Amino acid sequence: MTRDWLQSALEAAGIQSARLLPLWRFMWIVSIVVFVLVVAAALWAVARHRRDAAPPPSERGMTRAILGATALTIATLFAFLVLDFSTGRAITRVPHNPLVIRLTGHQWWWEVEYDDSIPQRHLRTANEIHVPVGRPVLFQLESGDVIHSFWVPSLAGKKDQIPGKENSVWFQADTAGIYRGQCAEFCGYQHAKMALLVIAVPPDSFSKWYDSQLQPAAPPADSIAARGQSVFVSSACVMCHTIEGTQAGSNVGPPLTHIASRRTIAAGTLENTRGNLAGWIVDPQRIKPGANMPPNGLSSADLNALLTYLEGLR
Amino acid sequence: MTDVAAPPRLAAERIGSAAPAPDVAELERTWHERGGFWGWLTTVDHKSVAKRYIITAFGFFLLGGILAAAMRLQLSRPENTVLGPDRYNQFFSTHGTTMMFLFAVPVMYSLGLYLVPLMVGTRNVAYPRLNSYGYYTYLVGGLFLWVSLVLNTGPDTGWFSYVPLAGPEYSPGKRVDVWGQAVTFTEIAALVAAVEIIATAFKMRAPGLSLHRLPLFVWAQIVTAFMIIFAMPWVAVASQLLPLERLVGTHFFNPAEGGDALLWQHLFWFFGHPEVYIIFIPALGIVSQVVTTFSRRQIVAYPAMVLALVATGVLAFGLWVHHMFATGLPQMGMSFFTAASALIAVPTGIQFFCWIATLWSGRPRLEVPLLFILGFVVVFMIGGLSGVMVASVPWDLQVHDTFFVVAHLHYVLLGGGVFPLFAGFYYWFPKFTGRMLSPALGRLNFWLFFIGVNLTFFPMHELGIDGMPRRVYTYLAATGWGGLNLLASIGATIIALSVITFLANVAWSLREGDVAGPNPWEADTLEWGTASPPPPYNFAELPVVEGRGGLWSRSEARPVVTGLRSDLREVLVTTVLDAVPDHLHFQPSPSVWPLLAALATGVLFISGIFTPWGFVVGAALVTLALVGWAWPRGKELEDQRRQEQRA
Amino acid sequence: MIAGRTTIDVSDLPTTTFGHRDLAWWGTIGFILIEGTTLVIVAMVYFYLRRNFAQWPPPRTAPPDLLPGILQVGVMALSWWPVALLDRAARRLDRGAVRRWLVVCTLFAIAFCVLRGFEFAGLNVRWSTNAYGSVNWAVLVTHATLILAEALEIIVITAVFFTPRVTERHFSDASDTAPYWYFLTGSWVLLAAMIYLVPRFWTSP
Repeated sequence: MTRDWLQSALEAAGIQSARLLPLWRFMWIVSIVVFVLVVAAALWAVARHRRDAAPPPSERGMTRAILGATALTIATLFAFLVLDFSTGRAITRVPHNPLVIRLTGHQWWWEVEYDDSIPQRHLRTANEIHVPVGRPVLFQLESGDVIHSFWVPSLAGKKDQIPGKENSVWFQADTAGIYRGQCAEFCGYQHAKMALLVIAVPPDSFSKWYDSQLQPAAPPADSIAARGQSVFVSSACVMCHTIEGTQAGSNVGPPLTHIASRRTIAAGTLENTRGNLAGWIVDPQRIKPGANMPPNGLSSADLNALLTYLEGLR
Repeated sequence: MTDVAAPPRLAAERIGSAAPAPDVAELERTWHERGGFWGWLTTVDHKSVAKRYIITAFGFFLLGGILAAAMRLQLSRPENTVLGPDRYNQFFSTHGTTMMFLFAVPVMYSLGLYLVPLMVGTRNVAYPRLNSYGYYTYLVGGLFLWVSLVLNTGPDTGWFSYVPLAGPEYSPGKRVDVWGQAVTFTEIAALVAAVEIIATAFKMRAPGLSLHRLPLFVWAQIVTAFMIIFAMPWVAVASQLLPLERLVGTHFFNPAEGGDALLWQHLFWFFGHPEVYIIFIPALGIVSQVVTTFSRRQIVAYPAMVLALVATGVLAFGLWVHHMFATGLPQMGMSFFTAASALIAVPTGIQFFCWIATLWSGRPRLEVPLLFILGFVVVFMIGGLSGVMVASVPWDLQVHDTFFVVAHLHYVLLGGGVFPLFAGFYYWFPKFTGRMLSPALGRLNFWLFFIGVNLTFFPMHELGIDGMPRRVYTYLAATGWGGLNLLASIGATIIALSVITFLANVAWSLREGDVAGPNPWEADTLEWGTASPPPPYNFAELPVVEGRGGLWSRSEARPVVTGLRSDLREVLVTTVLDAVPDHLHFQPSPSVWPLLAALATGVLFISGIFTPWGFVVGAALVTLALVGWAWPRGKELEDQRRQEQRA
Repeated sequence: MIAGRTTIDVSDLPTTTFGHRDLAWWGTIGFILIEGTTLVIVAMVYFYLRRNFAQWPPPRTAPPDLLPGILQVGVMALSWWPVALLDRAARRLDRGAVRRWLVVCTLFAIAFCVLRGFEFAGLNVRWSTNAYGSVNWAVLVTHATLILAEALEIIVITAVFFTPRVTERHFSDASDTAPYWYFLTGSWVLLAAMIYLVPRFWTSP
């Protein structure tokens, strides 16, 4: 995988992350000044070698200095609090008419559902969130098992997904691009391999993508793909995964209706190539030990057919 | 029999000038601990118990450090496979649990258990057998955790064990139960130590050592002891409710049956935040003593220092929600916790200013302990400043649960805990052992540690900002986090070298170090007024204190207490505020019952996680042990009678 | 003899004291603080979980039976009288009276244990039913461990007083029972008000 994404709180690509930059600059500069002053005072106090004969500084003068330094500390902290509270207020205010996405954390993948008032336009996908540039996106955060935390640093701060609690967070991508995020609350074995991509595209590309994702899966293009489809629906795959337009309709694992259109597999762990997909299907436990997907002992012909079929699911 | 209703007479009426020389040989016989293995098991001397605590805690520090080294090895390059997720998760969970519960907290209060009786001028802690029980309980808990790790049942849900991950559904097996009960043992030990320190510091001070003359280290220990009393029960409740949830099917944390996952976080952090200050405040006490001694003057603005310690202790209870900013609590409430978190910087700042003023107006000697204090200033300042940053809700929402926080907490705990601890160790080692640590190795120890800590943890700030979450066993090469991680791992190697240097220094100095004498640093506090190491009875004659200075302000004709019996274990109890002599207290002798009671406690909590009957059997054993402990008999009973019939 | 030194002679100070002068009393207060904090936490857990329920107790659950609760609180209130007398008798080193009141207090401690059994039976819910059941059991169990510990202590002290092993120290120990006893029973009055009255008078949010 090559890095073609942004993933940094200071590489802000949206208003929510950008709002932090002045606060960060303030904290950074003040910290350096305070650090230098205090450390320099401490070092000089030790190093200056007051002569024994010299009269010690008056206690009164020192008390004044301590009081002055304390007052300065309080004033600095007060300025910090004012800036912090105003930033905090701006970040919590939810904008009008956002795109609403329900994001559910699972051990160890993300379920993404786009709500729509028309039931047929409800869209369910996984691990890759497409959003239109310039429109606020509100995430309703849920958990299917333990606590996870949704965090895409270049777009916004994190928010926990807690079973039994309704949380939400919003961001807006102001430039097109790919923004990576990783689960930020320890969630067991494969906490390390629970990543997602946010792909921000212009609004018309977004609509096109959305419409194509609403389509059922592409039918097998040739006999090999057809064999692959029958391997899928007659093996363990069907126990967990959905492919719209086939008998496979289980919601335990990520939906695969348009798996070939996604950039990664195994929740941002591997690039979506034929080789990686083969390795993942045959022995997921080698790549992501503890993941809830069992190894699949397919014959090489079956595996090849299956891969051909899945590669056709654009 | 004495007149029990008589009010204590004023010290002035007792002043005389004819003092019979103390019978040192008899004192030695009375307070002497039996030798051999049995004597070792049964000792109730606060110095022996505290030394054991310190050595054990340091052992756990080394073990926790080995886990850290293994984790740094795993993370030194992307997609590394030295440790798999299962082992890595056990390692980071055990590392955190060990460093917090088995190292940092115990090592701090055990310094108190060693030094408080000496600093206040008495012969032992208030309840010597309870003290020994506390140590054994702690040891049982620590061994239980580590034996479990070796048997591949080490905890793997973090030192915080968030539910539902740590609940029955997502963590079957015994790993989380091991965590819960290991933590329970350390809570018991800490609570016992807190009660010891409060009673010793309040009631057993030398005549004249009124509260406003108390060394700042003792003040720090008192504040810490109260914090332990009000903070530890939170995690005690939590660490009992969690095994109940897992073993007998309660629903405290199960949202499906009216429970609440966030309840756990509140319980844990209401303890967990003060916990940091339970480590930090004793360290502040160490800093004050070292700065005083090496500035060769009393601390500037003593009342402000005491108030700052107390204020820090109180404010520490108002910060717990800043560990929960990302959980979606109401914004208004969170602002309060931001303000409180910023506010606690003020008393800490005041203490920094007072230390600097003390150094400024004194005649500082840059010995190794003071060198470590300067290291503390630099490293802790970085941790404190990043602490103010994470108090900001919007900023914390970015860096919470990332390597930025890993950097922050290690700067705080190593800067605010381990640097002062090294300072304290170099400072008091002569008192503990009678020999000086080598200053040359000490400086090497310092510079390696200082460079290693900064090299390891400073890059982590950047990693966190760049999106690297905590508690990940690996990361993709394409993230670009490899370089800084490698740098951190190199830093960890330097820390290891520093610790090895320290061990070598201790090993060498124990045999070859310069003989220290009673007061090698020309320090002021009372522990330096007796031999190094102190005799079992601490002081042949208890000192009398006449001013804030202990030894510096004492005249040639040092006033002392006379009339304490030397043929049995008798200590002087004084009044709380002004330390006026009040009565004479008989202290118990060495006993094996504390050990038996601790073992029974071990059976109670350890077998309890396998079967509820374990609780029943364990409770019966604890009952037996306590009855055996309390039942008056033998020489002890005779001595008690003799003490009461003195008149 | 060392001449010219200032000394403070403490040889004629008393060896037995009571209340806050006594060293053991401070230990007792320390443990009261620890256990009191624990009870406060358990009560806070109760009210925290209370917020998650639209109905308290939840539907088809009867509130805890009042009778054992009232009896327990009543018996605990009654016990203050013998404990106060025990404290006074101990302070005047009156061994006969101490023995008498220790026996009475022991009987009271046993009564607490028996009544606690009825309180458990009268909760009308199991710990594993829901969070309401869990927290009610938690309150009762936490306080029950304190009752058991106190019962054990008073039995041991009583036993010592009926042997020739008794010393003045034990009179001080007997007197130290009082503050702990007041804490134990006083805290239950508050917790009982919570356990028995909240499900009756504060059933919905």
